[in-house]
Amino acid sequence: MSKILEQLATAIIEGDIDNTPKLVQKALDEGLEPLTILNDGMVMGMNEVGRRFKAGDMFVPEVLMSAEAMQAGLKVLRPLLVASGAKLLGKVIMATVQGDLHDIGKNLVGMMCEGAGFEVIDLGFDVPAERIVQAVKEHKPDIVGLSALLTTTMRQMAYTIKALEEAGLRDKVKVMVGGAPVDEEFAKKIGADGYGSNAAAGAELAKKLVGAA
Amino acid sequence: MRTNYRVNSGTRFHVFSKDQLEQLFWDTLHILEYTGLDVHHEEAREILKKAGAWVDGIRVRLPSYMVRKALSMAPRSFTLWARDGDPKKNIHIGPGRAHFGPGPTCPNFIDPYTLERRPYIKGDAELVAKVVDALPNIDFCESLGSISDVHVDLSALYEFAYMFPNTSKPIVAWSFRWDDSEAIHKIAITEAGGQEAFERRPNYVHYCEPVSPLVSTFEALDKLIFAARHRVPLVFTPCPIAGATAPCTLAGLIAQAAAESWMGLTLAQTIAPGLPFFMGGVTSILDMQTMIFSYGAPELALAECGLTELAHYAGLPLWNTGGCTDSKTLDEQAAIEGSFSVMAAALCGGDLTHDVGYTESAMTGSLFQLCMMDEAIGWSRRVTRGIEVNEETLAVEVIKSVGPNGHYLRHPHTRKFFKTEFWYPTLCDRHNYEEWKAAGSLPMRERVIAKVREILETHTPPPIKKETRDVIEKVLADAEARAKSGDTKKK
Repeated sequence: MSKILEQLATAIIEGDIDNTPKLVQKALDEGLEPLTILNDGMVMGMNEVGRRFKAGDMFVPEVLMSAEAMQAGLKVLRPLLVASGAKLLGKVIMATVQGDLHDIGKNLVGMMCEGAGFEVIDLGFDVPAERIVQAVKEHKPDIVGLSALLTTTMRQMAYTIKALEEAGLRDKVKVMVGGAPVDEEFAKKIGADGYGSNAAAGAELAKKLVGAA
Repeated sequence: MRTNYRVNSGTRFHVFSKDQLEQLFWDTLHILEYTGLDVHHEEAREILKKAGAWVDGIRVRLPSYMVRKALSMAPRSFTLWARDGDPKKNIHIGPGRAHFGPGPTCPNFIDPYTLERRPYIKGDAELVAKVVDALPNIDFCESLGSISDVHVDLSALYEFAYMFPNTSKPIVAWSFRWDDSEAIHKIAITEAGGQEAFERRPNYVHYCEPVSPLVSTFEALDKLIFAARHRVPLVFTPCPIAGATAPCTLAGLIAQAAAESWMGLTLAQTIAPGLPFFMGGVTSILDMQTMIFSYGAPELALAECGLTELAHYAGLPLWNTGGCTDSKTLDEQAAIEGSFSVMAAALCGGDLTHDVGYTESAMTGSLFQLCMMDEAIGWSRRVTRGIEVNEETLAVEVIKSVGPNGHYLRHPHTRKFFKTEFWYPTLCDRHNYEEWKAAGSLPMRERVIAKVREILETHTPPPIKKETRDVIEKVLADAEARAKSGDTKKK
């Protein structure tokens, strides 16, 4: 790994929001490919963040800083990635289901997925099943991530999956679910493809669902 | 500008009012002046008599001015030093500070590998010192047992000789008599760099125990005199049993314990004015059904808090008791009894709180209990640290900037405070069910056992000087020779 990529990974790990875009620019100036900068620099850093978080050596506010640094770097990189037609890990649609106004957890999973190298489309909170179906048709994502914090709204996840089935889209996307009242058992029951117990686990799961982990 | 704004910098509670403390204080002096103690040490009686005590045979009564003079000389604040000078391991005794450590002399030990209860043996003191050295909330070291596989006169010396190289935290040492006190002292001053260097930075405390009710034994006072003459900080702690060797009522228990300890105080300050002195008292009850001296009773924690308040009222630090249990094993009873007494000691500011790791009513020392209590002490210390109230911690502006339906996770205010404002457990599990299950569904007990074994296998305590190692070898050889020759003279 070249020195600049190492510095970039370190900046991501340290959550250095100011320096990360500058290092991305420097790497581009040195002639490195955008996809190399992403995968061998930034994603390497984010993978280390995930590992440390799992081991209890990093805490949520610190992981968020890393994710923000990642986003700051991607701002520079994204137009170039699109222009070069480079393939990202995949596309994820995130939504908190209808009737539920909680979106912190969903946002965290989105940031972590972005950090892992996905393109993330955030539909926000209180999202009806029809809108999710429509977004799947429009964006053709690899994964739909559904979130709910309340026991009263978690059944909306089941209705959303059913709506995807009825629209004939269920076999075109993977569905992952998460949120405080949700567990593995519930995910299976409603026919989701996976459950993530926290933001880092959500991103891990997304990678697994596209066969990248 | 604020005026007359009063700040609580920690969480405290009080057992006694000022009036009650005044009454306890003067009634304790009354006991010393009108009943007095039997003092089984001729030289001690002579020293006390010369200083103003009334002596009738072995009975010694102290006019109250003598005790008050002694109290005025003893420091409330001083430092016990880590032998390697590590500032994180120094203990600063003073108002509002509680410290924790194991106790001495249990006959049995829970083997950390076989988990069996067995006699305490030579190597165990090393294991205890190592674990004490590694645990962040354990501040001082005692051995949790009496070594059974050496000559009966030498177990205290061997204990110290095995503990000293394996922790740099201050040690509280006991002994049988003058000659093992002397050997222990030689080890400590060698490491400190001589007697004068030791006096400036004492790295151990000498522990003596008089007998209840109202008896100062020859051994306790002889060791006290040794410590005072060599300026070793002192613990002088009776062990009165409410309902058996002390009044059944806790106020009387506390007053008698104080009187017993203050006889030692008066002698020590007469010999060595200003000597750091921990007032003592393991104050608990005789369980009237089983006849055991309870180490898990609420009365232990409550009486210790009361005794601590009396000590602080009189201007002395206290040798407190907590983190101990009557349970025979590492179970829910051990957790409840140990944690509550730890919390009580933390709340009252028990200056040196010992017996952390005692199980089976002080019959069996347990590294597991010690390790589990390290977590309870961390928890308690977070509570006693209290809630800081100021503009920044009240965060009115932060609340405004986040607003309704926002979140604080990425706010700089959160980043600034989340590590210091929150306490992070190392044994208590906060994972979700799936993660807990994936890690092996381990109950607390299993996690504690694993942590103790990991410390034993990986922790390396700071080394001692080569000359200290040589002195340890020499004092042990001399002591063995003395024991073989049958030399049992006291001095």
